[in-house]
Amino acid sequence: MRLSNDQTTLRSEFADDPDMVGIVALFIHELPQRLAAMHVAIAAADRDQLRMLAHQLKGAAGGYGFPKLGEAAALVDQAVRAGNDDNVIRSRVGMLAAVAARIRP
Amino acid sequence: MTALPSNLPKVLAIDDSVLIHRLLQVRLQHEQIQLFGATSADVGIKMARELRPDVVLLDIELDLKNQGMDGFGVLQVFKADPDLQEVSVIFISATATMEERVRALDMGASDFVAKPFEIVELQARVRSALRVQHLVKMLAQKAQVDGLTGLWNRTYFDRRLTQEVGEAIRHNRSLSLVMCDVDGFKKLNDERGHPFGDKVLERLARILQTGRGSDIACRYGGEEFGIILPNTVGSEAIEVADRYRRAIEQEVWPSVPGMVITASFGVADVFVLSGTPTTEDFISTADAALYRAKVNGRNRVEAAVAMHLPG
Repeated sequence: MRLSNDQTTLRSEFADDPDMVGIVALFIHELPQRLAAMHVAIAAADRDQLRMLAHQLKGAAGGYGFPKLGEAAALVDQAVRAGNDDNVIRSRVGMLAAVAARIRP
Repeated sequence: MTALPSNLPKVLAIDDSVLIHRLLQVRLQHEQIQLFGATSADVGIKMARELRPDVVLLDIELDLKNQGMDGFGVLQVFKADPDLQEVSVIFISATATMEERVRALDMGASDFVAKPFEIVELQARVRSALRVQHLVKMLAQKAQVDGLTGLWNRTYFDRRLTQEVGEAIRHNRSLSLVMCDVDGFKKLNDERGHPFGDKVLERLARILQTGRGSDIACRYGGEEFGIILPNTVGSEAIEVADRYRRAIEQEVWPSVPGMVITASFGVADVFVLSGTPTTEDFISTADAALYRAKVNGRNRVEAAVAMHLPG
């Protein structure tokens, strides 16, 4: 998929909004923990937990100025809801992580 | 967030994601509102009961993980609760299908916002819900206010008195009721015309509103007024009634030089009633005192004496 090959950096659409600077920084800071939690959920076969994590990111990422991250999280959410097997799920979480890796403060 | 006493409208956000709460706090910080947040259905319902918010932002997919109560369930609880059924509920959702959105609106939600939020739209929808809520409250209040005098009307009087009697008994607090009737009002109407009679009622109503802030003046019907005095014993209530009586007697009527209009008062203290008094008992006791004031020469205050009620 094109998403994972794209290496350009991503900045929040609201990076210049003084109201948003604080919570956007916190969002970026916490992102690795959220992704780690998804991997833990996959390893533990806890699909409900994984779905919740993906769903929350899907609903919120756009609000923090990262719509591409939201779209990638939506693909994870969709795969979990569809009951896809672990390979599909892992690959989608991988794509999500690739988008996350492009994010810069 | 601390619940500071404020007249700003209250908005409660119920969403299981802390990311959404942070976002709402920033994005709604310039609105003239107090924002509160809950991260589960249970806490949200509890907070709504305590806060009585004007608007609730409600996530449909609450508690995905525990398969607990979702937004529809919360809305159902609100609609079944008389204190919460008028609250404006704006549904927020990242996935809702058209069917779900229709279901939400059919269940009584007032609006719908998709996640991720378009900020300006979110702010506008919250403001719109607050405007509607303001109108609903105003209409509800209008239905309880007397059109001519601006005092509370009979409907409100009955409901409030019942409530106050209950509180007084439960907490062993004093409570008095003053019934007031304009003397010779029928004659006044016949001689001076109904528009003048209306003016008299309006003027008296204004006098009855000059009392203590806690006094609740209502138009009971026709030329009769009822004033509820919470935390007031009979002897104090007699003083209050007599102040009103003198103020009415001293009122100057420029259109009819030299005219004096008077009113009679009956006072009852809830503790002159024995047993468990009903609202009707209380009113009829004050009314009986008012009747004695009329019989004993009008323009006077009479108080109910301890009496034993049947049963």
